Amino acid sequence: MTLRKQIDQGCLYLRQILGQFQPSIGIILGSGFAHFTDSIDVLSTVPYGDIPGFPLTSVEGHDGHLKAGKVQDINILAMQGRPHFYEGHSMQSLSIPVRIMKSLGIGTLIITNAAGAINPIFRPGELMIIHDHINLSFTNPLLGPNLSDYGPRFPDTSTTYDPVLISAAHDVAKGMNLNVRDGVYLFTSGPSYETPAEVRMMKKMGADVVGMSTFPEALTAKHADMKVFGLTQVSNMAAGLSDQPLTHYDVLKATRGMKSQTASFLAQCISQF
Amino acid sequence: MSEAVNLEKAYNFLLREDLASPTIGLVLGSGLGVLADIITKASSMPYRDIPHFPQVSVEGHKGNLVFGKISGKTVVAMQGRIHYYEHTDMASIRFPIRLMKMLGIKTLIVTNACGGIRTDLYPGALMLIRDHLNFVGTNPLIGPNDPSFGPRFPDMSEPYDNDLGSIALQTAQQLGIDLSEGVYGGVSGPYYMSKVELSLLRLAGADTVGMSTVPEVIVANHCNLAVLGISCITDMAIPESLSPLTHEEVIEVAVQTRPKFIKLISAIIEKMPYP
Repeated sequence: MTLRKQIDQGCLYLRQILGQFQPSIGIILGSGFAHFTDSIDVLSTVPYGDIPGFPLTSVEGHDGHLKAGKVQDINILAMQGRPHFYEGHSMQSLSIPVRIMKSLGIGTLIITNAAGAINPIFRPGELMIIHDHINLSFTNPLLGPNLSDYGPRFPDTSTTYDPVLISAAHDVAKGMNLNVRDGVYLFTSGPSYETPAEVRMMKKMGADVVGMSTFPEALTAKHADMKVFGLTQVSNMAAGLSDQPLTHYDVLKATRGMKSQTASFLAQCISQF
Repeated sequence: MSEAVNLEKAYNFLLREDLASPTIGLVLGSGLGVLADIITKASSMPYRDIPHFPQVSVEGHKGNLVFGKISGKTVVAMQGRIHYYEHTDMASIRFPIRLMKMLGIKTLIVTNACGGIRTDLYPGALMLIRDHLNFVGTNPLIGPNDPSFGPRFPDMSEPYDNDLGSIALQTAQQLGIDLSEGVYGGVSGPYYMSKVELSLLRLAGADTVGMSTVPEVIVANHCNLAVLGISCITDMAIPESLSPLTHEEVIEVAVQTRPKFIKLISAIIEKMPYP
């Protein structure tokens, strides 16, 4: 089945389920953000497996459900759990959920993740607003035939993360008296964590955090002319910045700590966007 | 999962051959396959006879799994390396490392011939690999995880075992052999890097550049093997003074370095805390 067909079938299926419900904001809940679904008045829950063409997820901490509902009267569509490149999905198939959202009429995409801090002043548990990214995966979701209905062959990425949304998020943080960081997200394929030498290199390159998601979705959204907002929760210090070896358990634990504050920050951002 | 099934078949095949149970695995790099000659009580198993074992095609690389003793320790050596640039799939890189793990090795010694980016790494110099940069463009663990080998997200904060590194440095000092330390920059190859690419690698923190090792070491870390990595510098890969390079020149330097290399590796193995 062609990529285009997969997207169209998934979209058709979801339109039937959603009926008159018209989401305006899409949100991808990454590692540690799954709890945000508690802040959604959920109208319908759709397992990824029911949606034709939708890539599935296999990682602990990542359920695979699409949730349609309301956050402070804003209609949203949330991905609880995300498929990753390291699971073996092609980059093209990672573009499917975002393109389905676009076709459903969603104009703004919020992408969340947990990532390792490369910037030594960052601390586990802190939030970072993504201003830009570095793609160190040697591939990208726009390789292959261009889907020109979504965007141009050569999309500009001089600003992937919308400055207006960034500034609105800063206002929300200020209002909550919440300290947020600003920085650059570096994408690697994973699944192995970085070595200390790689972390030193990434720092030189200009990265503040490193993770294994977000870039494929952000680029797909930018291509489709969606407004993108990216939010990272620092889950750990990257290799070489602390004495401890890394486990996924630590990543999940660190992101659990600030649950309620993170959730209310996200909810207020949604109402301000 | 067919990879697990294939590994099981290869493992059972080797069990039937009644070979010694190795505690140390060796991957012998370009021109260094001769190290297998110092293995005593050796029994050699051609890759082509082992079910599902990937095949080698590069000159200077034989294709045998050699079982036997070095310095009284029981080893298995890959005489002939499986390269990503030949196979273009990472399953072929995973297979031998995981098979050796199943055979019982605790430690993996990886050796290679590579280019020296740092000016003090002259042809013929030996370098202890302290860390690496993955510029291969992919990762051998992408795809479904097999948890019987290791976790979904393996830690890489000490990709090359510090204790084994200390043993290597100490041994080199005792033997009067210069052993530098540095970071190995792993690329896919098979072309040798351009000047500007070498500058970029140097800026990124690489001291050497080569076309192997990194994927194997990621797979080894995933299945909890302690890794020792030693590079034989075969050419200067310094951007400002880069001259054309052939595989024959690489092999020639590796061959000249063999005696020193063999002496060092066998003395290190002697000190390893395994039977």
